Amino acid sequence: MKLWQIALVSAVIAACCVGLRGYQRVADFGFGNDDSPTNVKAEFYWSRLAYNVNMQAFGSYGHYGYWGRFAWSRDYPKADRQFLIAMHRLTRIDGRPTEQVVTLDNDEIFNYPWIYAVQVHLWSFTDEEAKRLREYLLKGGFLMVDDFHGTEDWENFMNGMRQVLPDRPVEDLASGDEIFDTLYDVDDKMQIPGEQWIRTGRTYEKDGYQPKWRAIRDDKGRIIVAICHNMHLGDAWEWADDPNYPEPFASMAFRVGLDYIIYGMTH
Amino acid sequence: MFQFLFKYSSPVFTKGRFVLLSTWPKWLLPVLILGFSVGLATLVRRRLRDASPKMQTWRAWAIWGMQSACVALILLLLWQPAMTVSALSSQQNIVAVVVDDSRSMAVADSDGKTREAAATAALQDGILSGLQKRFQVRLYRLGNGVTQLDRLDQLLPVQTATHIGDGLKQLAAETADLPIGAIVLLSDGGENTAGMSGSGIGIDALQSLRNRRLPVHTVGFGKVNRAHDVELEDVSVVSSAILNARLTATLSFKQDGFAGQKATLTVRDGDKRLAAREVMLAPNGVLQTEQLFFSAGTAGAKSLRFEIEPLAGEENPDNNAMTQPLLVTDTKRRILYIEGEPRWEFKFIRRAEEDDPTVQFVTMLRTSENKVYRQGISDPSELADGFPVRPENLFDYAGIIIGSVDADYFTPLQQELLREYVDRRGGGVLFLGGRSSLSDGGWGASSMNDLLPTFLPPGRNNFHRNSATVELTAAGVDSPITRLLDDPAKNADRWKKLTYLADYEDAGSPKPGASVLVQMNAGHRRLPLLITQNYGHGRTAIMATGGTWRWQMSEALGDPSHDLFWQQLLRWLVADSPGPVTASIPQRVLMDEGHVQFSVQVHDRQFQPTSDAHVTANIVGPEGTNTLVDLTPSRDTPGLYQAVWTAEKPGAYLAEVTAASAGAQPEELGSDVLTFQREDGIAENFHVEQNRTLLEQLSSQTGGRYWEPSDLKNLPRDIAYSEAGISVRTTNELWNMPVVFVLLLGLPIAEWLLRRKWGVV
Repeated sequence: MKLWQIALVSAVIAACCVGLRGYQRVADFGFGNDDSPTNVKAEFYWSRLAYNVNMQAFGSYGHYGYWGRFAWSRDYPKADRQFLIAMHRLTRIDGRPTEQVVTLDNDEIFNYPWIYAVQVHLWSFTDEEAKRLREYLLKGGFLMVDDFHGTEDWENFMNGMRQVLPDRPVEDLASGDEIFDTLYDVDDKMQIPGEQWIRTGRTYEKDGYQPKWRAIRDDKGRIIVAICHNMHLGDAWEWADDPNYPEPFASMAFRVGLDYIIYGMTH
Repeated sequence: MFQFLFKYSSPVFTKGRFVLLSTWPKWLLPVLILGFSVGLATLVRRRLRDASPKMQTWRAWAIWGMQSACVALILLLLWQPAMTVSALSSQQNIVAVVVDDSRSMAVADSDGKTREAAATAALQDGILSGLQKRFQVRLYRLGNGVTQLDRLDQLLPVQTATHIGDGLKQLAAETADLPIGAIVLLSDGGENTAGMSGSGIGIDALQSLRNRRLPVHTVGFGKVNRAHDVELEDVSVVSSAILNARLTATLSFKQDGFAGQKATLTVRDGDKRLAAREVMLAPNGVLQTEQLFFSAGTAGAKSLRFEIEPLAGEENPDNNAMTQPLLVTDTKRRILYIEGEPRWEFKFIRRAEEDDPTVQFVTMLRTSENKVYRQGISDPSELADGFPVRPENLFDYAGIIIGSVDADYFTPLQQELLREYVDRRGGGVLFLGGRSSLSDGGWGASSMNDLLPTFLPPGRNNFHRNSATVELTAAGVDSPITRLLDDPAKNADRWKKLTYLADYEDAGSPKPGASVLVQMNAGHRRLPLLITQNYGHGRTAIMATGGTWRWQMSEALGDPSHDLFWQQLLRWLVADSPGPVTASIPQRVLMDEGHVQFSVQVHDRQFQPTSDAHVTANIVGPEGTNTLVDLTPSRDTPGLYQAVWTAEKPGAYLAEVTAASAGAQPEELGSDVLTFQREDGIAENFHVEQNRTLLEQLSSQTGGRYWEPSDLKNLPRDIAYSEAGISVRTTNELWNMPVVFVLLLGLPIAEWLLRRKWGVV
């Protein structure tokens, strides 16, 4: 075979490969429009905030390694999906059965007006991310934070929060606050422990002995950040199907989570 | 010349009646004329074939025409033609000379003299003496009415208004027992009765003149066209608005001499300038209409001044401004929003309405199958049993929003109540798109289908969680609902650039009478998004999406588009929803007169007309005057109460109308407030050019004539031909008119000359 013939065959094969690749990228094979849970379009998406980790915040608790870098994904995705099952059964919200991970490095977050974040004592924002989260909250977005414990975690959480909302005070929510009456009347709240309760029997972690139901409000008094400090609702959802995890904790966690969602969708 | 040829003056022919004095049968005259004509035609035709070729054309028929005309004239004279005409008896009749004495007659545009001076000069220049030779003359001045004068020097152009129609009607009434033969009106034709934009003589005034066959001879003074002037013709703006409402005023104006130049339209509340807009002036004499957008501002009764800022060299800057009363209320309108499922649209509409102080937003949200979350309620019992089932509960709301709710969520009774709510109560209902809305919620098959402004598409798969972009239609560009920016072009552009909707629903095609204000582009489909219509006494609309919340979340922080749109849409929804007591007056600005007719419609809590209520109007006028007026029920219309009242002084008035039920323990049914103002002397600043059309119409409709001031010498003579007063009917024979002899000689001579010319003598 002469050289030019080899070149021609190679060029034809290359062109076919490029064409095939292009076709695969744009053609509709019917795979993307099926009814798989991740493809379902819905009104409500359980949106978990993925953030960068502040390595300095590890402090005296040592290295978290892989789990430290992916602190946002604690209990993910089981907690999310178990909660969505409950939400589907107990409310009329048209929610997708699977979670959605959102980040602050692009404007996609504005399509998800309710977000959930855990291990927020580890979060870290660039100025641009902080600005985006601030705008998100002031436009009408709602943030629920969970699973951080004790004084040091609180300070680390507030470091990030002050970057987002420098002038907004944090307040303790009273028992009769409207956020606890939207779907369920949650008057007598308890500290909701993580899965470690099964092993230790303790409801607290670190020095977070008392549950703190806190919030940050906007100018019109609407809660825009709901803070569950010294608690771990995510674990309660995740381990709700474990016979060793007490039902009252799980039930309370579901009721609070649903109240927070309904509040976020009505205020 | 006319009188030389025809012997008599023109009024003999224009006002007289043609008669034939001969006793011979009148039908015989046309028969003979026809017979002779046909005979001559036959003769001409018979000889035509022997005639020279030159005569076998139209020339033969020209000869025939002249012969026939000559014969017809002779036959007509045999029947003794004459004109009978009524003429006023000398010195037995009165001629009323009415001189316009209003302020506009002081305009000096009659060869350097004021119009009134020109009128006086015309009268003194022989007209008055000419009239006095034949008639008794009475002088009157005209302003708001007519007043008799002794001498011309008593005229002084200071009257604040010209009511020509009312004045002539008054004159006819006051001289009913006098032999008035004619009226001579010297005026510029500025008639103020119909308001600044009106220009007609009332039908009742014309009727009173016609009943007495009184001819009005009008003499017009002043320039018909202005050289350099801008005049505001009309201002149209709502009479009442809610706090901080964005209002549109429509200003109509004309100009002469400033075509193509720029002028500034302004609206002021006292010293505060609410809005201004620069416009390009249209060609001379063309009525130009422009809109001005402004905020109603704080609550209270206001007097807004709309103005075209005077241009350099303008002849009459006083006609550049008008005032209009505006009542701004802070009354909260209650809107009920029922939503079938938690969704973002619900949240963000609520947030938009939280910023509107004029709305109390009451919501009921189905959070689970058996739970309804209520917000914005007045007391714990409100909506505790769900959606209202009694009219007095539902009709309390000025508007209703129905979100993603299946039609069968409502019982048949509630469905009928909703229909009555719009049709009878006059409320507004807005339907939102959603997975249980419109066709997907079974609304097309429900009895409430009538309420919808569209024909819904078939099936239940018309709601899609896909993106759609939006754009205004032509109707939407003009609508205050969709006005995000004042400039129409920029506003249309803003809509195109709005971020996409999160979802959309195919609402079908609009019904006849419905308006599509916004449409959306969904894939390759173009669908209506916002559709409005009037239904019965109320209105309904569809917003075929549940995804406008993206306008709030995805536009820049602080962008008002989402909130502004929803506030405007919901204000439209409730703005015309009447309260139980609704008061109205025909005109809010009373020009030079204080006659006000109050009409009040009273309903009970079920919105049925109430005819046994006690209705009073407490009127607060200038200088704190306070008057209580009782209104009486109409015999014809149930629930309607009326009263007539006179505002004696110029200034602003505010009337609070209250209705209470009858009985030993009266209960207040409701109240309404309206404002109006009386303005004296303002109308005279407008239409200062001579209204020749009005003067010509007045004279022609009464049997008179319009006269130029420079051509009045025949007025004393011609005015005598009138059927009013003491008149005699004279018969004027026509056979001896010079023109007859001219024709009798001229026709044969012309025929002979033509024959010679054509060589057929």
